[in-house]
Amino acid sequence: MDVAAHPVEEHAAHDHIHPAPEGFIAKYVFSLDHKVIAMQYFVLGLLLMLIAGSFAELMRVQLWNPAGTFVQYQTFNQLFTMHGTVMVWLVLIPLVTGSLGNMVMPLQIGARDVAFPWLNMLSFWLIPVAALTLFASLLFPTGAPAAGWTEYPPISIQEGTGTVFYTLAIIIVGISSTLTGLNFLVTIFKMRAPGMTWTRMPLFTWATFATALINLFATVALSAALLALFLATAFNVPFFDPARGGSPVLYQHMFWFYSHPAVYIFILPAFGVISDVLPTFARKTIFGYKMIAFSSLAIAILGFTVWAHHMFPSGIAPWLQIPFMILTYIIGIPTGIKIFSWMATVWGGRIHFSTSMMYALAFIGTFSFGGITGVYLACVPVDLHEHGSYFVVAHFHYVVAGGAVTAFFAGFYYWFPKATGRLLSEKMGHLSFWLFMIGLTGTFMPMHWLGLEGMPRRYASYEVFAKAFPDAVFWNRVETASSFLMVLSVLFVAINIVVSLRSGRRAGNNPWGARTLEWMISSPAPYYNFKKIPIVLDKPYDFTQPLPYRNLDDPNQDPYPKPIEAVIPRRAPVAT
Amino acid sequence: MTAALLERAIALIGSLIVGGTATFQLKNEWPVEGLDAQVTKLLLGLMIIGCVFAFFASLNILGNFS
Amino acid sequence: MAVAATPGTAAYLDRIAVEERFRDVDPVYAETRDIRMFGFVLFLLADCILFSSFVFAYLYLRTSAPVWPPIVDGHQIERLDVAFGAMNSIVLFGSGVTMHFALESWKHLNKLAFNMWLVLTILLGAGFLGGQAHEYLSAPMNYTSSVFGASFFTLTGLHGFHVFCGVVFLTVLGIQANRGVYTGSKYFGLIAGTLYWHFVDVIWVALFFLFYLW
Repeated sequence: MDVAAHPVEEHAAHDHIHPAPEGFIAKYVFSLDHKVIAMQYFVLGLLLMLIAGSFAELMRVQLWNPAGTFVQYQTFNQLFTMHGTVMVWLVLIPLVTGSLGNMVMPLQIGARDVAFPWLNMLSFWLIPVAALTLFASLLFPTGAPAAGWTEYPPISIQEGTGTVFYTLAIIIVGISSTLTGLNFLVTIFKMRAPGMTWTRMPLFTWATFATALINLFATVALSAALLALFLATAFNVPFFDPARGGSPVLYQHMFWFYSHPAVYIFILPAFGVISDVLPTFARKTIFGYKMIAFSSLAIAILGFTVWAHHMFPSGIAPWLQIPFMILTYIIGIPTGIKIFSWMATVWGGRIHFSTSMMYALAFIGTFSFGGITGVYLACVPVDLHEHGSYFVVAHFHYVVAGGAVTAFFAGFYYWFPKATGRLLSEKMGHLSFWLFMIGLTGTFMPMHWLGLEGMPRRYASYEVFAKAFPDAVFWNRVETASSFLMVLSVLFVAINIVVSLRSGRRAGNNPWGARTLEWMISSPAPYYNFKKIPIVLDKPYDFTQPLPYRNLDDPNQDPYPKPIEAVIPRRAPVAT
Repeated sequence: MTAALLERAIALIGSLIVGGTATFQLKNEWPVEGLDAQVTKLLLGLMIIGCVFAFFASLNILGNFS
Repeated sequence: MAVAATPGTAAYLDRIAVEERFRDVDPVYAETRDIRMFGFVLFLLADCILFSSFVFAYLYLRTSAPVWPPIVDGHQIERLDVAFGAMNSIVLFGSGVTMHFALESWKHLNKLAFNMWLVLTILLGAGFLGGQAHEYLSAPMNYTSSVFGASFFTLTGLHGFHVFCGVVFLTVLGIQANRGVYTGSKYFGLIAGTLYWHFVDVIWVALFFLFYLW
């Protein structure tokens, strides 16, 4: 099927452009507009990121001294559990799929909105409900959940109310995420502009498509796992009780069947962002368009087959460990294809070092680093040694903070002008970029060798370990100090947003000279997005060609848009 | 005549009627195009399998053999 | 590097061809029936995965158990009553058939037959729920003593919840249809209701096999 348009009998009733809603509530609170919903996701995500980040800072302060006297040990357990839970489900999913996906994907495919705007609004409003449910656990004497963000039974079942609230909250997030996936899949399948075949879709949309597949299919399995955990905790149902025939390992299977694909829910949109940002600022066609697009799909599908690599020390059969190890290695192939394609894209380009491009280039490095340690961990003997150590923490944070969050910032600086009509300050952008990168390296790099030396994760005190490895104190203090740089960086981002919204330079339609459809319309995008839906003529990203679409509103549009040089003055000399 | 025998009889006769009707519906649905029709065909087909299960269960051929 | 698509080149002609092809196509970007149907089928698929997860859990627990049904307090749990289960299954499958007839009657503009079949469907659905209630009260195990009871009550409870939602769904559809909400070719709700009801039947096929026959 290469024609996305489906004229059907009802179309006369719907064909007009709806007027924008009036009134504050309809416009900004219960809005059906995908762009407003994206901004709601963003504000909520950033707010929760500051909360969850402060949990992390409290943990780092606790680890300043090996004795760990800052908070009580049980509080420390609650801190790392809440940090992980909030960051994974209430920050990354809203920010990466909710905010970027909602803002950009319908614009990139030339749609007026997502397929089910009402469902989209529901998906958003479920997230604050989930957040409140999770934090409601603090009102009870046993407090927040404390068994780690994975909440393995039997510990989670023993702790009572915390687990109940955790499961309910994450089931709500799961429903929201499933509905978003459904919405996006239908939108991408059915609502592409005329002429936009699958191979003419921008790569961010491809990535969103792959993400939506995971959202739809894996998240339901997570809801099932947590429903089982909820029943086991609240009603004493013996799913996970070996005395009555149950199995704690079953929970790990059910949980990781979702939660491994879940990390691809963060990282696939990130890949999409990078694939859009790099060609624009390198002024060069993306290398290997089809390979990047299909590797997203391959990652999404392979992601369902590797979950048990999280469970090597949990006692799964040895004959099962080897296939899971090999399948995990295989995931490195599509990821490697992407990395090399991006490097080939940048090679020989006219690189403009905008903040967005800085983040995108840094992403290639940090993500490759985190990916390679992931390949180490997939190896059964190494994993048995490193599983409970800080090496895992280092790997995960390099992939998530160095991968997903870095790419999110790349996309944020890239699409902020489209969302608001103002450009962000490049100076403050560069400042927050360097703070973030130095903070990231300082915080998570030492964790690698601390983990290899055997420093156990999730410990509120490391006195015994510090006796054997006295340098651990030094490196932990480096980590604590560096982690505050990241907080500073996020605060600078917040200040940058506020300042730029008031007095930022006006962006115009296309400040970066980009080639995808969202840059055709004015910034901020009008309520109906496109007055007349454009016709897509050719592949995106080819900067030697005239624009790959026909703008029916403005036939005299410049066919070779250029970036505003005054905004991004620093340009590398042409390499060729 | 026990309750179990009555239940088996209802299941036997019912499975024949329901299975037959469902097969008839599937036959009628077969040439229809469209996503809803395709899914209906799949679901009707699976339901016919269910009727076959119920048929054999009512005859004591399936089930209870542990 | 390809030649730029400037007038006179083959690439330019390709672009003109695409433009000619789509210039008069008026794309529709609203909730049309096609879009809603696709979304609904995806919803059913997602729901199917919810059941599959619990079925996976059941298979995992069952295959790792030394004996099945498990032994509680020194006694092996009895098996479920196949005769009753088969009868109750037929009640549910029969409601699927009647729902299909209801939709067919609607398509042939026979409103009387539609109402008759729909009421019959709702009654059969409610009858199945009554049968399940009887099954729960007379079950040889409870949901805390063993994983057999746990998975049986969770899976059939989840399914029963779906049936209950379906009964409510069909009732609402019946009221809406008689109020004249669906006209002409606009009866997506009825198609969705029928698909959902068939889906609930098919889930029961799997559950009937897993708990009663195997």
